[in-house]
Amino acid sequence: MIKLQWLIPLLPVLSALLVHLLAGRLGRRVAQLSVGMGVITFLVALWQIVVFITSDQGPSWMGIGGNWGSVYLDPLSATMALVVSGFSLIVHIYSVRYMAEEPGYARFFMLLDLMTASILLFVTAGDLITLLIAWHLVSVMMYFLLGQNTESRPGERYAFWTFLTYRIGDLPMVLAAVILFQAYGALDFPTLFDRLMAAPDTEVFGMPAAITAAGLIAVSAFAKSAQFPLHTWLPYTMDGPTPVSALMHAGIVNAGGIIINRFAPAFVNADGVLHLLFVVGLLTAVIGSVLMLTQNDIKKSLGYSTMGQMGFMIMETGVGAFSLAVFHLIAHGMFKATMFLSSGDLIGDARRHDDVPQNPLYTFLVDRKTGKPTRLPWLAIGVVTLVVPLAILLLAHWAVSPDFFQKQGAIVLLFFGWITGVQVLFATHRLDATNPVRMMLMILLSFALIVIGYSIIGHTFETFLYPDAAFREALYHAAGLDAVTFDGLVILLGLIVLVGWIGSYLASREESLFGNRFTELRLTLYSLISRELYIADLYERLSQALLAGSKRINVWMRWR
Amino acid sequence: MNTLLLLLAGFFLPLFPLSMAFNWLLGRFNNPVVRAALILVWPQIGVLLVLTAGVPLTGSVFLWWGLITAAFYAWRLLTVRELGQWAAMLATSAFALTWVMAADGARAIDLHAFVLGFAVAPALLVAVTTLLERRLGAAYSGLVTGMARDIPRLAGLITVVLLAAMALPISPGFFVMLDLLLESDPAPVIVALLTWLLWSWAGTRLLRDTVFGPRSGKNVADLPVPLAWAFAGVIVAAVVLNLIWTGV
Repeated sequence: MIKLQWLIPLLPVLSALLVHLLAGRLGRRVAQLSVGMGVITFLVALWQIVVFITSDQGPSWMGIGGNWGSVYLDPLSATMALVVSGFSLIVHIYSVRYMAEEPGYARFFMLLDLMTASILLFVTAGDLITLLIAWHLVSVMMYFLLGQNTESRPGERYAFWTFLTYRIGDLPMVLAAVILFQAYGALDFPTLFDRLMAAPDTEVFGMPAAITAAGLIAVSAFAKSAQFPLHTWLPYTMDGPTPVSALMHAGIVNAGGIIINRFAPAFVNADGVLHLLFVVGLLTAVIGSVLMLTQNDIKKSLGYSTMGQMGFMIMETGVGAFSLAVFHLIAHGMFKATMFLSSGDLIGDARRHDDVPQNPLYTFLVDRKTGKPTRLPWLAIGVVTLVVPLAILLLAHWAVSPDFFQKQGAIVLLFFGWITGVQVLFATHRLDATNPVRMMLMILLSFALIVIGYSIIGHTFETFLYPDAAFREALYHAAGLDAVTFDGLVILLGLIVLVGWIGSYLASREESLFGNRFTELRLTLYSLISRELYIADLYERLSQALLAGSKRINVWMRWR
Repeated sequence: MNTLLLLLAGFFLPLFPLSMAFNWLLGRFNNPVVRAALILVWPQIGVLLVLTAGVPLTGSVFLWWGLITAAFYAWRLLTVRELGQWAAMLATSAFALTWVMAADGARAIDLHAFVLGFAVAPALLVAVTTLLERRLGAAYSGLVTGMARDIPRLAGLITVVLLAAMALPISPGFFVMLDLLLESDPAPVIVALLTWLLWSWAGTRLLRDTVFGPRSGKNVADLPVPLAWAFAGVIVAAVVLNLIWTGV
């Protein structure tokens, strides 16, 4: 079974090679060759996960006999190989027609195959060196895919931004590998993780190896997954072809979540780093969402939406819910890929039929016009809005895991789920409907179905990814805080949400909590946010200063 | 005597300002074979001198002198536009890292392999420089942009060689760099990583002004197919030999 794991990254490499060599003879038919190889890769990945689940053999590893060069088959690699090969196949099929008019058709498919191979090698890698090679290759392939239109200056410019940020993210990963290797003297994952779990307090150069390595891997993940302040590349990558945007937003940007899961044995022994993940993820989710709402460019807005989602994903790892982060990245990947790949059809439809749909949902969501005042009593709405989502969430989670509430991370996630549920109900109860009670019941039913489905699938997925209950427990425990701090933070967060709701309510009535006292500050904040906090400008200034210094020194030293 | 030998080695495994001699010498010769030979042989002399000196370099001034030289030349590389000079400065930056490897107590054979691994990309860049000079009269970035459109084979060669120059996988430079990092202390590793980052930045700036961009400059002939295959053969041979050496 493990031998077949080699085929997963090698088939796309073979495909790239064939596409390059046969492009002259086959012309545009090379795309079919690439799609065909994509189908085989997907089938192999599917076979691997099915056999892995049914055989119940546990993880396996295979090297090619040297110092490095190995593959690993465990729940994470089997799942991600299937997901990546699936997304890649969809993007391949979509690109056959979408890219038909573009120059460099064969080159595009070759690059797409090489990118797929890099990601598949990354998820199936069985040792540090193979992982580093794949981690670096993802950066390189991203650069060339984003610069597919070689004549576009903006395309090249944003590809360069992405590449440089990715390189900034590659280097801490190398340093983490150096520390892990020097501390535990092993390159292959099974030995490395065994030794790490056996001696988590090992020090190297006077530093705790597990904590330092986890911190560096976290920084690396921040760059790959567009976490604040290493996010500036993401909203500007839409200049690349749509299939590349889909692959990027659905797959590549999730690399941060995958690498954190891969090194879970280091993170479980690095509680401080988990807290850092939570803070950075939360900050990214908030900033990404705020920036998304204030952009007038729809593409940038989508980019910031992905940034916000990546923030949530990293935040989930920060509360110890590692498997949930993987579940989230798969769900988000499907959602974003659908959005990007259907955008062309939607634009085409809008051009053919420019009339807007005349139904209450469109009027409510797009025109932002509420219907008639609801006939439901205010108190009933209040109770339903606040209590019902909480009850559904608690019951669903209690049903799948009675000890769920002992975990702080689970409480945090429940809290977010509750707030989201409340906001959904609050936002939709004013929707124009002939039978408001029926509509409210339907909304509640949908919400209950989503929560129950999510809880069951999430719990099953967690048991699959991390079958060792003690390890799952240890992850949540490592992410925990002392009771006083935790309760204080929950109360603070609750107050912030409450103030936000009151502010939002008053804003809808064109009133304000503070009258006109802070108008100037608000405007300053708005301009700061609309200029994306000037972070990209700051980087630009810094790089210009470095370049100017380099030039001055070279002239002074006569280029010797 | 030993210190004198190490100082002499500073000309061959370039330490700033002794490194200016190496760069001056590379600028003096126009013949690509001589330039490539100089890149391949020059640092090997340095390795022999370091080994002859036989002094432990751990924590010595030479270790940090080498690191600072490497980072300094990598920073200077950012604004170099002439490909021949770029190759010379990249070689200077890379060879200076040998002092770190030597301080880690590497075996003689590993030190020779180390400098050879780093010499491959600059030597290939010298060949690319010659190809461009023959077609354009000079090998400046920005002289002809958008090569990917009309001269894809030459553009492809430039791309692959520059990726190797940035020490990206699976070029010999990548494994040489990993070898260095895996055996070193964290402080030198951080400086070496910064140097590596600057190589990437400098390399993409060159790519931007040669391979990418709207087509500009005069029309030139693409690389003949046999020559392209010859270059591909050399590059593949270098990669395969290196993979065997690193123990895959």
